[in-house]
Amino acid sequence: MQNKNGKMIFIFLLPVLILFSAFFIYPLAYVIATSFSKWNGFTAPQFVGFDNYKYLFSDENFRLSLRNNIVWAGVLGFIQVPLACIMAMILARRPKGWKFLRTVYFLPNVISQVALAMMWTAIYNAQNGVLNALLTFVGLGHLTNNWLGNMDTAFAAVIFQQVFYIGYFMIVILASRLSIPDSYYEAAELDGANILQQEFHITIPMLKPILITTITLALAYGMRHFESTFLMTGGGPAHSTSVMGIMLYTDMQALRYGEGNAIGATLVIFGGATIGLIRYFLTKNSDN
Amino acid sequence: MKKNFLVALLAIMLAVPSFVFANGQSESAGDKEIEIRFSTIWVGADTKAAPVKELVDEFNTANAGKIKVIIEENPDADAYRSKINTMLGSGSAPDVFSFNPDQTSFMFYDSDVLMDFTDELKGDWASNFVDGAIESATINGKTKSLPFEMGYTPIWYNMDILEEAGVSEIPQTFDEFWDACEKIKAAGYVPTSQMTGGTNAWTSMLWYCHILNAIGGPNVWEKDFATDPVFVEAAEILNRMYQDGNTTVDAIGGDAGVSGGHFLAGQTAMFINGPWYIGRVESEAPEVFAATQIGPGPGDKYSNGQVGFPQSNLVAANTSDPAKKEAVLSFLKWMTTPENAAKISQASGAMLAVKTPGVTGNRVQTQFNEAVNNASFLQTHFQFNFATDVMAEFGQALAKMASGKATAEEFVAQIASKIR
Repeated sequence: MQNKNGKMIFIFLLPVLILFSAFFIYPLAYVIATSFSKWNGFTAPQFVGFDNYKYLFSDENFRLSLRNNIVWAGVLGFIQVPLACIMAMILARRPKGWKFLRTVYFLPNVISQVALAMMWTAIYNAQNGVLNALLTFVGLGHLTNNWLGNMDTAFAAVIFQQVFYIGYFMIVILASRLSIPDSYYEAAELDGANILQQEFHITIPMLKPILITTITLALAYGMRHFESTFLMTGGGPAHSTSVMGIMLYTDMQALRYGEGNAIGATLVIFGGATIGLIRYFLTKNSDN
Repeated sequence: MKKNFLVALLAIMLAVPSFVFANGQSESAGDKEIEIRFSTIWVGADTKAAPVKELVDEFNTANAGKIKVIIEENPDADAYRSKINTMLGSGSAPDVFSFNPDQTSFMFYDSDVLMDFTDELKGDWASNFVDGAIESATINGKTKSLPFEMGYTPIWYNMDILEEAGVSEIPQTFDEFWDACEKIKAAGYVPTSQMTGGTNAWTSMLWYCHILNAIGGPNVWEKDFATDPVFVEAAEILNRMYQDGNTTVDAIGGDAGVSGGHFLAGQTAMFINGPWYIGRVESEAPEVFAATQIGPGPGDKYSNGQVGFPQSNLVAANTSDPAKKEAVLSFLKWMTTPENAAKISQASGAMLAVKTPGVTGNRVQTQFNEAVNNASFLQTHFQFNFATDVMAEFGQALAKMASGKATAEEFVAQIASKIR
């Protein structure tokens, strides 16, 4: 009986395994294999050993892009997710208008990244942007700046516009939070626990599995971040906002597929290792 | 029974993609109408959109039932370039398309994905093109793209601003240029439009080329970029254009919309772009259009040099189907007859690599022609001479230098590090 179930499970898994192998395992192996070659995409790859990796790790801009990806991952995982969690905990207490707020916070997730990037580019514009106009209006004209053109502020400006789009993680955490029985909170209240104590001693421990999942997802998004930066700054000025995805894209456009694939392989290996390590520390106590 | 059903199902599954992805290929067989997909950016607000569509419609009417050209619209030039590169890299291509001729695009000549026009151009067809055009698209004896649009990028001067600032003549030397900049700033305007953003820092890249023309003269691109001091000297001048209010505050990080937008708004006095921009200035900023005078950049050791380069080449996908090849060639020959090229040039103001008899332009178009015809020499731009990743590095290095975080030597070194 057990043997028969095993066969059935295998048969049901087979289509997914085939698709996964065809569209992930095979391309990944191909990317890694060609990352050791000089290849323009249409002539035969020439094996060059570790030359592409040596070149990349000696390139200051690549190291900067790698650092930026790590910052992105950290900000999304450890600032965006906690913000989403706080908001989910507030909304779960069903304050007046909570359903409206839930929709409002989620709304940016259904708007195109392109539209959002264009909007923020206009907000940040040094000459005609809303932000500088606002600063001037409130008497802080000395703080006006070319937000996306200044090497010292561009990276923070791009991250800032993204970090408050907490809707996706908030909805996921809220769904999990609403499944915690009210009786737990009622019992705690009878024992004299205030709201903060209830959240720290009931909500957060109960949400731990979903928090680990959302943090993992956020880290993955951060490691492969591309869209809004590409649309708003193209990685500039002077590579200050560059991420590995943009470097990969630039190499592909220049038909340097060997180098591009070395970036891709580094992204997969480094991203996987970082996420694995953080998950290990987050789940260590749970396992115990 | 079950086995037969599974075999039939499998056969259907295998057959479906061939229908879905056929993309008109199968229609070329037999007497069926041949479908040609023409992927182009000459759509929407582009000034060439209307005449190109008109010519395609005329071609379709003349070849009804035999050939049908379908325009695939790609209004975003950067996205179009990415799409074409990705398609070519994967070994496929639209039936007919265009690319920016540069060192990256020419790499595709080594592949079999592009149609080879070399033999076809040995006949009368070649006489449709202006002198030297075919040669500019020929590499190792193979002509796998057809020169179509030429880019000439002289300086656009807003004479209303210059005159208000007390500058009555276009600056002829750099001393006169800097003097004019001071007067323009004193009058409350910004001297130059610049940009470090976009894929190629277009406007500033062209300023750099004009400066190189002035101090490096013709054949400057034959010099070694990494070591020849002329490139550092030109970078110092370009950097000065970014300092002391000589350009707008949003130039670092700004794209073509920013750079062009300030000129259209009458905020900047000097700007650079090609003839394709004339129609836009005329329709969106008639006062600026009326005040525009086209001329050379300031001279130094050399004067009156202009920047000119192949802007768009027409390209076709290679095909083993003789009927399809014949149809594609027929369409390309139609698009490159002098009469039809003249229609495009007349309507859009574009300057073509195909002869365009009888074209009469507006005042600014005429000045463009005069600037090109009177130039002491024509020289290609930075983008034509380097691969796209080197081009992309130009804007990044410029932003660093203009921000005061790199010297002119470091600017050149950063770009040179990408030249491989």
